[in-house]
Amino acid sequence: MKLVHVLSEALRAMLANPLRTMLTMLGIIIGIASVVLMLAVGDGIKAFIDKQLSVLGSNLVIVQADSRKAVGARLRTGTVQTITLDDAEAINRLPSVKGAAPMLTTYSQISYGNDNTNTQVQGTTPTSFVIRNLRLAKGIGLSEVDVASATRVAVLGKKVAEQLFYKNDPIGQTIRIDNQSFQVIGVLDNEGQSFDSGDIGEVVMVPISTARVTLVRTATPRSVQYVVVQSKTTEGLNDMVADIKDLMRDRHRIRADDVDDFRVVNFGEFAKTGEAIATGLSIALGFIGAVSLVVGGIGIMNIMLVSVTERTREIGIRMAIGARPSDVLWQFLIEAVAICVVSGIIGVALSAGVASAVSSTGKFEMMIGLKAVVIAVVFSCVVGVFFGFYPARRASKLQPVECLRYE
Amino acid sequence: MNVSIASSRAEGALVEITDVRKSYFSNRVETPVLHGINLHMQRGDFMAVMGQSGSGKSTLMNILGCLDTPTSGTYRLAGVDVEKQSRAELATLRNRTIGFVFQSFNLLKRMTILDNVALPLIYAGVSRKASRDRAQTQLDKVGLGELANRQPNQLSGGQQQRVAIARALVADPPLILADEPTGNLDTRTSNDIMALLNELNRERGQSIILVTHEPDIAAHAKRLVRLKDGLVLYDGPATEGLRQLKTDDSIATIAEAAL
Repeated sequence: MKLVHVLSEALRAMLANPLRTMLTMLGIIIGIASVVLMLAVGDGIKAFIDKQLSVLGSNLVIVQADSRKAVGARLRTGTVQTITLDDAEAINRLPSVKGAAPMLTTYSQISYGNDNTNTQVQGTTPTSFVIRNLRLAKGIGLSEVDVASATRVAVLGKKVAEQLFYKNDPIGQTIRIDNQSFQVIGVLDNEGQSFDSGDIGEVVMVPISTARVTLVRTATPRSVQYVVVQSKTTEGLNDMVADIKDLMRDRHRIRADDVDDFRVVNFGEFAKTGEAIATGLSIALGFIGAVSLVVGGIGIMNIMLVSVTERTREIGIRMAIGARPSDVLWQFLIEAVAICVVSGIIGVALSAGVASAVSSTGKFEMMIGLKAVVIAVVFSCVVGVFFGFYPARRASKLQPVECLRYE
Repeated sequence: MNVSIASSRAEGALVEITDVRKSYFSNRVETPVLHGINLHMQRGDFMAVMGQSGSGKSTLMNILGCLDTPTSGTYRLAGVDVEKQSRAELATLRNRTIGFVFQSFNLLKRMTILDNVALPLIYAGVSRKASRDRAQTQLDKVGLGELANRQPNQLSGGQQQRVAIARALVADPPLILADEPTGNLDTRTSNDIMALLNELNRERGQSIILVTHEPDIAAHAKRLVRLKDGLVLYDGPATEGLRQLKTDDSIATIAEAAL
């Protein structure tokens, strides 16, 4: 018997009782939709994390002063400024380090014309732009010259620029930071959560030297609040952290049995946590999908058994005119698989609808890839074969004489 | 396959049944139904099988149709030893050798007349297109070519039985097995159906076995086999057999009246 014929027989059988077929399909539809959504959620979370990482910059650590006892009272981390520009330069020279950017930050009142806002100002070096993947929407970034001569220039975060300048071009305009004039030379393109401040769109970046003389009071002329460091490779991250620790202990003359006066915060760990959450969610959804597929499969088996009983006479007639047991087996097996595959396709369509609805809220991007569709179709075939085999085999084992006598 | 070898031996008897016995078992209790049947049939013959219910008529019919196998004895159909065949081989043997016509027509619902007639060819592995072409030709022959796209339930009983005959003939099998083909039809339609079977036998030399309990219907056959209590009571020309049957019946009626 040709496949085309078996398929058209399956379709005919499915259409013979449309309501029953639909109800049977429902379990598989839900199962397949959950499986596809699981994959979409997993992919979406991965993409979300990647996007966040691209804002953060990958393979980054922060070196900051640790809390220190001052006259017996332990102070907040970073309050005591023991890290210096020289430390940053020394870290930058480590072979495992791609770049190290010293930072001085403060919250300041920023104004332009009648408008003003209060946000974080970061004093830093050009290295910062490189290691944190900062891109410019307009203008230019900070340069070594700006740092060397403490020029009063500023690069605005996207949202700050929108707030102060609306649709006007901010480049070349003069803004006031804590009542001191700065010329805007660039606007950042990045958005999203940054690890050391709030939204990267809401910061203003100025040369670290300028920040020191105008905005941030420091303990010594070379103190910095923290240093952002990027390793050359992902694999080398942990080695780099060890290198930094050794270097810093050496530079700060910490004796072997004394504790560090600095901390190294590793942001790779955050990404790992995010991925673990994504995996957990995927497993949960996958489990729901699997349970639904099994329940749906049992429904199919049940209906196929009913169908075999109902069509006993038909089976008898077919056998009398020459259907071999294998022909009958195939007929019922293909019918079960066809129900599952059609359900799978509907399930994919349903999950695509859900995904686009979720994505249209703009909060979370869900993507249904070809991989998900292929997996869904393969899964539904497997369910069809697994749960369709027993009823089909039962049909093929029927005796023609008894079938023809069946009313 | 041995079926093809068999069909090349066209001179041999079509049906050779030797000492066939059949018993049914339920809870290990043996209920014998056929007590040793011997039957030979040449190609081109038209044989009616008669018998009252319980005579083993249906059982013999099932064995003849390769739907059931004998408990003992041998059955050679077109040179093939039926009892040695597997289930799949029996299906193929039925497909190529026997065309069934049933009392209740047994057409498949929700399928067009054309697809019903084409089905034996589909199971024989003929392509869809060729099957439909041949089915259409066969439908034209029984005069229902224009109804090809109807469903069985849109047809009258007589038309449905013609479709069933077309289905039985479509794969060109050497034997037609008709089990009470007129049982569900009125007298006039029954005569039409019998005329069609007669024509097939006369003009194409089609071998036909007809199972019936009506003497009027059996009268269309050349040869009559009467069964009683699982044995052959009469095997000979139909006219003579029916005359004997009439006598037997009147004796029975008189005996009944006497009681």
